[in-house]
Amino acid sequence: MTKQLTFERSYRASLKDVWDLWTTKSGIESWWGPGGFAVTVRKLDLRPGGELLYAMTAVGPEQVAFMRDAGMPVTTEARVTYTEVVPLQRLGYVHVADFIPGVAPYDVAHLVELHSSARGEVRMVLTIDAMHDDEWTERAAAGWESELGKLDALLS
Amino acid sequence: MLSDPNRLQIVELLLGDEHAVNDLVARMAIHQSGVSRHLRILEEAGFVRMRAAGSKRLYSLRADRFRELDEWLDRYRELWNARLDSFGEALEQKQRRRAQKRRRSTQ
Repeated sequence: MTKQLTFERSYRASLKDVWDLWTTKSGIESWWGPGGFAVTVRKLDLRPGGELLYAMTAVGPEQVAFMRDAGMPVTTEARVTYTEVVPLQRLGYVHVADFIPGVAPYDVAHLVELHSSARGEVRMVLTIDAMHDDEWTERAAAGWESELGKLDALLS
Repeated sequence: MLSDPNRLQIVELLLGDEHAVNDLVARMAIHQSGVSRHLRILEEAGFVRMRAAGSKRLYSLRADRFRELDEWLDRYRELWNARLDSFGEALEQKQRRRAQKRRRSTQ
């Protein structure tokens, strides 16, 4: 069982353009919403401890129908809390994952790291930790992961 | 949920076998009341199940909840892959718009 996700992308762009997409109202609104959803940023307080509040509205016909059938409003609000803000380099935030049926909400930590490469590209690394917690991370480093591998084998 | 060190330890101890509360208490640094409380939390969240054997209450792990967590991670991965595709497109659009503006202003 993995509890960490890592994504890596490279773009021919300036650090500023990439950073702005993560940290400005118009930037966030231009890509954040999943397909069929529009995002409106309602509050953006870019500093450690500050919050990003946004509304996600179903706009695609399929998504609208899905939300309606599920008895959910077409617009839902979400919030992330920034944990680290180093302009053009690092952006950390925590998002409370409260949408897993039957599982108590828990924090998911996200870290975006930007590196400029010699070829004029920006390398972007996104790390998502579903169990953001020092204790957990330490145990993972100590081979906890392999223990959970055994768990899978044991229980499957 | 599992980020609590004591709960994590309980899961660890239950990896191999089902255990009675007393077994767990003997291997942990916290008192029985604490172990019972964490077991109750884990049970409520569906990570652990209890069965009574005589006067003993035996606890074991529930695979389905752990699998659900895995599935959730898979879904989250998909969400982010799609989101990062949009990110790349938004970035390109931004650059294209700027290039157009530049071209217009130099014409």
